[in-house]
Amino acid sequence: MSEPLLSGLLALYPAQFRREYGAECARLLRDRFRDERGVMARMRLCADVLHDLLFGVPQLYALPRRAFAKAAPAQADGTMIRVADEARLSLGALMCAVALSTGAFGCMMSWFANVRYACEAGFLRQAQTQPPVKKSHQSSMRLASFYMMQQPASAPAASMAPSVRDATSAMVDAINTHKIVMFGETHANKQEYAWLCSLVRDPAFHARVDDIVVEFGNSLYQKSVDRWIAGEDVPMAQVEKAWRNIVGAVGPVSPVYAEFYQAVRESNRMSGSHKVRLLLGDPYADWEKIKDKEDLGPFVAHRDEWYAQVVEDDVLAKGHRALLIMGAGHFRRANGPELIEQKLRALGADPYLVVFGTNVVGAYDDVDPRFDSWKTPAIVALAGNWVGDLPAIPVLTGGMGQASSLKMAAAADAMLYVGPRDSLTTVNVPASELENSDYGKEINRRLMIQMGRTMTFTLPAETPEFQRPAPQQAAAGNVQRFPQAQAPKSMHDPLPPRPPSQ
Amino acid sequence: MPRRKLDPLPSVAFQILLALADQPLHGYAIMRHVAEQTEGRMRLGPATLYGSIQTLLEGGLVEEVDAPAHDDSQDGRRRYYRISAAGRKMARDEAERLAGVLRVARTKDILRGEYV
Repeated sequence: MSEPLLSGLLALYPAQFRREYGAECARLLRDRFRDERGVMARMRLCADVLHDLLFGVPQLYALPRRAFAKAAPAQADGTMIRVADEARLSLGALMCAVALSTGAFGCMMSWFANVRYACEAGFLRQAQTQPPVKKSHQSSMRLASFYMMQQPASAPAASMAPSVRDATSAMVDAINTHKIVMFGETHANKQEYAWLCSLVRDPAFHARVDDIVVEFGNSLYQKSVDRWIAGEDVPMAQVEKAWRNIVGAVGPVSPVYAEFYQAVRESNRMSGSHKVRLLLGDPYADWEKIKDKEDLGPFVAHRDEWYAQVVEDDVLAKGHRALLIMGAGHFRRANGPELIEQKLRALGADPYLVVFGTNVVGAYDDVDPRFDSWKTPAIVALAGNWVGDLPAIPVLTGGMGQASSLKMAAAADAMLYVGPRDSLTTVNVPASELENSDYGKEINRRLMIQMGRTMTFTLPAETPEFQRPAPQQAAAGNVQRFPQAQAPKSMHDPLPPRPPSQ
Repeated sequence: MPRRKLDPLPSVAFQILLALADQPLHGYAIMRHVAEQTEGRMRLGPATLYGSIQTLLEGGLVEEVDAPAHDDSQDGRRRYYRISAAGRKMARDEAERLAGVLRVARTKDILRGEYV
C-alpha cells in the first residue's frame, strides 16, 4: 500500500537528481517493498527512507548544481517520479515537506502495527465478539479507513498484475540480492527439475552461487559426492547412495535427483575456476546399520534441524551464497517462517523463498485461466498482486490439499510456475527396474522397518503429478488402507554423533 | 569536488566499492551487498546510495556499464555499475589503511588476537 507514498516522497529530492536517478530510486524502493515484507521489515523500510530524507537529501541539495548536470533521457519506463520543478526547494519548503512526510510515516506505521497485522492474524474477526477496542486502536482504525478510502476502487493492490519473469533470470537476480535463496520443491516433478537442471547450468547463476544444499542427499556420503562433483572418478554405486539412502523418502527415489546431481557436476566441468558445491542436507543415517525403526527414529525426528545445521556450518559460517532446495512443506511459511528459516534468520540470514505452484485456485477443477498467457518456466514475486492474494493451499498442492486462509503472499516471496497443473508429471523409477532387483528388495526392507509393510512396484516411468482424487472410491472403502505405524520411542532422542563422511 | 569528497574515502563509498569488487551490480543489488557486508548496520537509502554513486562516477572510481544479458526486468533495464582500476586501487589503499589502524589497535591491546 505504501509503495506509491514512498515513491512519492522522492519528489522532495533535487530535481536534477531525480532526472538522473529518479527511475532507479523508484525501482529500488519497489524492489525493497517487494522483498521486505512483514510489519517489522516494512517499518524498517519506512525508517530507512525517512532517515534518507533527513540526512541524505540535505547533502544532495548541498552538492553543486553541476553534479547532476548530465541529464538522463526522459523516463520512459512508467516510473512514478515526475520532475515537477527546476528550481531548488527553499529551506522552509524542505522543512515543511519533511514534517509532512514524518506525519505520513507515523500514520503508515500506525496502520501497519494496528490494522494490517491484526487483519492477517485474523484478530479482527475475533474482535467482533470481544469488548470494544481501545481508543488508540479506534484512531488507528479511522486512519486505516481513511487510507483505504484514498485507494482507487478500480485498482486495489491485490488485483495488480504480477511481473511474470523468466524463471532463470529471476533466480539469478534473487541470488545476487540474497545470499540465501530457498526453493520449496514438489518432489520428483519432471518439469520443475528440467528447469532446475538448466538453472545450475546457467553461467550467470553458476558464477554467483557457492553451494546448493539439497534434501535429497544423505550427509554420510558428502565426501564421495564432493569428489564426484569435482570431476573425479567415483564408482556410481557409491555416489548414488547419497540420494538413494536418505531417510526423508523410504520409497524408490525419482531419477530426477540423479539428473540434478549430474547437472551440477557438468556445470562444474564446463565452468572456470569457480566450482559449486553440492551440500547434502539429510541426516547421516547409515541404512546398512538400521535394523528397526528405533534405529531410524532420531534421524527422522531431526531432519529439519540437521538441514539448518548444514547451512549454518557450511554456508553461513563461510559467508557463502547458496540455493537451498527442500520439499515445499519444509519451507512454506504458515504463521511466519518454519523451523529452518527461523534458525537461519536467527543467525542473521535474510532468505528469499520461492515455492513451486500451480494454476489451481480452489477445488480440483478450479483452474485459473489468467495463468494461461504466462511463458514458462516463470517466477512471479507475490507481494501486492493477484497471485499473492490467491489461497495458498490449492495453488501449492494442485487443488489436492485442505483449504485454509493462508494466502500465497504469506506463504512465500515468489512462486515458480512451470506449466498448467494437468501438464505436470512425476518421474518414477519404472517397476521393471525394481522388481526382483537388489534396490527393490532394499526398498521393501526399509518400508517394512518404517511403515510395517512392503509395496508392489507397479508405476510406469511417468505419471500425472496431481491425479484427480477419487472420493467415491474412498467412501466405498475400495482404497487400500494401511494401519498407522506407531512412532518409534527414539524420536525423542538426539541425533547420534556424526560418523566420518564416506 | 570528487577529489575533495573522496579523500579520505567515506565509509559509504568504501562499502560500495567493496560491493562492486566481484562483479557489476545495479543499485538495489549494491544496497543489498552493503547491508550484508555490514551485517545490516548500513542500509543505504536512495539519496545516500545514488549520491555516492554519482560522486564515485565523477571521481572515476566506478563506471556505468550495460546491463548483462540475464537482466530482463520488465520495467526497463537497470543501470549497472562496475569498479574501475582507480576504484580498486582506492579500495585497496583504504583497506590497507584500516589494516594499519587494526595493527595499532592490537599493539595497544584494544583488540585481541581473534580479530584479523
